[in-house]
Amino acid sequence: MKKKGIVLEGVQFTPEQLDLLKEMGNIGSGHAITALSELLNNKIDVSLTSAEIIPFWKVVELFEAPHVEVFGVYSEIHLISDISIIQIFTKESVINLINLLNGDSNLSVEKIRTCDDLDDLSLSIIAEIGNILSGHYANALSDLLAIKMVPDVPIIALDILSAMLNGLIAKYSQISDYLVIIKTKLAMKNINMNCVICFIPSLDILEKLFEILNIKYDMDL
Amino acid sequence: MIILEPTDQVKKTGKDGSIFVTIGHYALSNSKNTSVIPNFTIFGLGSCIALILFDELNRVSAMSHILLPRVFSNKKILFPHKYASLSVKLLLEELLNHGAVRENIKAFFIGGSKIFNIENNLMGNENTISVRAELNALKIHIIVEDTGGLKGRNVIFDPKSFSLYVKSTGGIDYKKLY
Repeated sequence: MKKKGIVLEGVQFTPEQLDLLKEMGNIGSGHAITALSELLNNKIDVSLTSAEIIPFWKVVELFEAPHVEVFGVYSEIHLISDISIIQIFTKESVINLINLLNGDSNLSVEKIRTCDDLDDLSLSIIAEIGNILSGHYANALSDLLAIKMVPDVPIIALDILSAMLNGLIAKYSQISDYLVIIKTKLAMKNINMNCVICFIPSLDILEKLFEILNIKYDMDL
Repeated sequence: MIILEPTDQVKKTGKDGSIFVTIGHYALSNSKNTSVIPNFTIFGLGSCIALILFDELNRVSAMSHILLPRVFSNKKILFPHKYASLSVKLLLEELLNHGAVRENIKAFFIGGSKIFNIENNLMGNENTISVRAELNALKIHIIVEDTGGLKGRNVIFDPKSFSLYVKSTGGIDYKKLY
């Protein structure tokens, strides 16, 4: 018997389901982090995952400084319905990563005002990091759910965080005033890297995911 | 008086107490009887549209932060200003309810840009088209339209002087558009 929880547009979110979403986030981000750690030969210092059901106008509040310019790396996964993965990096983080991975690079934050200020090699480094994170995240969930999830090629932008989120909020709040966002915050202190990975499933794909888990793992969700 | 949408959580920002208009919300200023009139602001406007309607003579103005071009579901609507198809009409009604005169009303609308440059990312464009269509249908005089492009914007509207300031991401200063 299903316990009472939050009912959202006909989809019932029990505490167990929310825990499960958080666990999915842990699994996905865990794999992503391991891969990034290996690439950078550096361990992750902080990693916190949360699963939120949040009104569309509060999404911006999930982030500490939404009016600051950041790098965003965005990919979509097309299944029966859509899933998006967005990765947010501080400007400093991206510059540090590029300088770390490209010995010839000596970029500084002040000089980078738009993506046009970055050369092709720098952009491909960001894209590759984005690919590794979203790819490993999706892969882990593919294994868990036994459905193929392959993210599209990531798209990079440098802009104000709240502006970057407009499109996502618009996409996932068309039929509901609420979004489900599984958010992992990670940091690598000694290279001054701070990143947030958000996994955003649409409500209909969530129903499917819970169905699959019920059947595959004999749960009662 | 300053009137804010009843369910909103608009925060006052900055030492001047300017009002940040949250997505899907609106703010209205009826400045006949008040001396303290904060600015209306939106920082980080991407595909959304900042819509401003105002009557300079009767000193009433309102700003909404629109997310979607039209309503996509049959459910009860708690945040009408989320939708261009509803916000324009409602904002006009609010102005008229506060003493604005139809013929005086002018409009600014800003935003509708595309931050992630993907082909199927058309939300900004659809929002722009929808807002423009609604304004034209209501025969509201559009004074400033600053829309499109690939960059985010910051918008400041001053209901005292009806001035409009917009800055694009990567730009150095605010431009005074009105």
